Amino acid sequence: MLDYILTYDFFFAIIRMSTPLIFVAMAAIIGAKANVLCIAYESVMLFSALGGVIGSALTQNLFVGMFTGIFCGLIISSIFAYFVLYLNTKPLLAGLALNTLGTGGTVYIIYLITGMKLDTSSLNSLRFPNVELFIIKDIPFIGKLLSGHNILSYLAFLSVLFAWFLIYKTTLGLRIRAVGENPDSAMAVGINVNKTKFIAILISGVIAAFGGLFMSMAYLPYFTVNMTAGRGFIGIAAQNLGLGNPIWTTVYTIIFGISMALGNTAQSFRLPSQFASMMPYLITLIGLLVIGMSNKYKEKRIKKEN
Amino acid sequence: MLKSSKIEKQFSILRTVFSISLALIIAFILIYTVSDNPFKDFSTLLFGPLKNTSRIITVISKTIPLLFTGVAVSLIYSAGQINIAAEGAFFSGCIAATCVAIIPNIPPIIHIPLCLLAGFIVGSIVMGIPGIMHVKYDVVTIVSSLMINYVALYGGLYIILNPLRDGKAGFEASLPFSLNAILPKLFNEERIHLGLIIGILVVIIGVVLLFKTPFGYEIRTVGQNAKFAKLSGIKTDKVIILTSLLAGGIAGIGGSVEILGNYNRFVYPGFTNHGWDGIMIAVFCRNNPKSVPFAALFLAYIKTAADSLNLTSSIPIEIVSIIQAVIIIFIAAERLLAGLEHKKIVEASKNNLKLEEVK
Repeated sequence: MLDYILTYDFFFAIIRMSTPLIFVAMAAIIGAKANVLCIAYESVMLFSALGGVIGSALTQNLFVGMFTGIFCGLIISSIFAYFVLYLNTKPLLAGLALNTLGTGGTVYIIYLITGMKLDTSSLNSLRFPNVELFIIKDIPFIGKLLSGHNILSYLAFLSVLFAWFLIYKTTLGLRIRAVGENPDSAMAVGINVNKTKFIAILISGVIAAFGGLFMSMAYLPYFTVNMTAGRGFIGIAAQNLGLGNPIWTTVYTIIFGISMALGNTAQSFRLPSQFASMMPYLITLIGLLVIGMSNKYKEKRIKKEN
Repeated sequence: MLKSSKIEKQFSILRTVFSISLALIIAFILIYTVSDNPFKDFSTLLFGPLKNTSRIITVISKTIPLLFTGVAVSLIYSAGQINIAAEGAFFSGCIAATCVAIIPNIPPIIHIPLCLLAGFIVGSIVMGIPGIMHVKYDVVTIVSSLMINYVALYGGLYIILNPLRDGKAGFEASLPFSLNAILPKLFNEERIHLGLIIGILVVIIGVVLLFKTPFGYEIRTVGQNAKFAKLSGIKTDKVIILTSLLAGGIAGIGGSVEILGNYNRFVYPGFTNHGWDGIMIAVFCRNNPKSVPFAALFLAYIKTAADSLNLTSSIPIEIVSIIQAVIIIFIAAERLLAGLEHKKIVEASKNNLKLEEVK
């Protein structure tokens, strides 16, 4: 098993596993900065995964597929935003309802279009290509590591940069943080709170949509029922562990990616795969506990000093 | 005052009716697009479960586990905790009951309570951990409870598929239960079991606890206003932890009852969704256990309708989850029809004022 872990294949598997998680985690960061607890990313990913497949299959054009997927993600996140912000639905319940819709709705659409209930393998949908990086690919070792990943994997790492830039370097980011941290003061200085939150949710929907597109147009060549398998939730967990910091959050998503890749390996080596599957969740729980404990400890120390 | 609260109640019923009708309209449109015989299929969806006694029994059988998760989630939400570990608590209740149920040669009178106790303990651990983490270390409950669901899932599957696996079964399942652990059937029906009575008891206990005891009052006060509760001398931490443990235990017993009442070995490949259904029921009931049986029956009815639709047509059964989603999101939309509600309340109070002036 150790032999395998030290191969390029394993490294590629980690990147493959981490890519959708990074997208969702960045989406979750932007949502969390606006202080909206969105658990509907599962649904956003499922619909955009399916949208991408259908769009690309019908037009045989990758870009049309991509935009269909993004559009689907936008629809779901705007439904979420409208219900939560304007109809006062509790975010948990709106998220729960949309996730239920994600499972049922995608199956219905598959059935409507292909007559099958499980996947879209009969559709001739397109895939995002793997890219060889110019020049870098010729550097020994590093080239082999960095080059040849899926284009969306590179985009995932760019999205980290994008999230950081958006939140900390733009006016919109400042506004999002303001309405998230203190909506009353934000309103006092003339920021439209609901509008800003709405925009934040839409942006996070677009980013999460890329996670969905990766699942059905790169990770697998077609859409299968419930193919996101809880990745939306792991993204939220990573956001929580990383305390909303894009870099730390990415580190956690990669840890999750490693444990998922190990899970697949364990299966092929006849070890109980359940432990590996459990790892991301257990790590999150322990991580949350440790962070909580250290915060409490700091609080106590500050109290003592005063 | 009385008048406006009455109007609020009326509007909450109106919202429910509105959501269900809207969901039915959407259901009809969806069925119309994929069905060769939409009217027949739609009537199957509406009345299928009433077609014969066997189906009615299925509805009741499907209601049983929902009673437990419905009460569990109502309790924990009454305490204001967004703890969604009911799914994990239910699942681990199944696992715990399985572990105890495969032990041979214990008389039923001891064996069944022992299984339920195991379910209660493990369930309350699963739901209690997020509660304790929240109280002691301010960990966000929704995330920790989500995570612990999956830990319970994979931990449970590991136990079933490794030490407890029955290699002779020919499919992925645990060793068979001892016959003494299987719940006795009621009314000579295969699918109606002792769990029904336990479930009704749980509902009654839930109502009495929440509305007739000081502890129930504390739970509701913590849920409505934790700061006020703390200032008025309620030990909020203790209330939250105890409620989490109790709710988890109830969900756990639900899991035990479901597996011991319907199967002779552990067969679930993954989550059973009863915990999420419990959340939906709690939304319907506005966290009042008194209404849980009705909401559970309603949900069981929809599920049975889906099954019968699945038998008589090729329509994907998942259409039902679209219906559920529509119902839940509209019922939970507090400001839906708010304009009209506001107008009515203003009118009513104006009338009240006029009456008082006349006096």
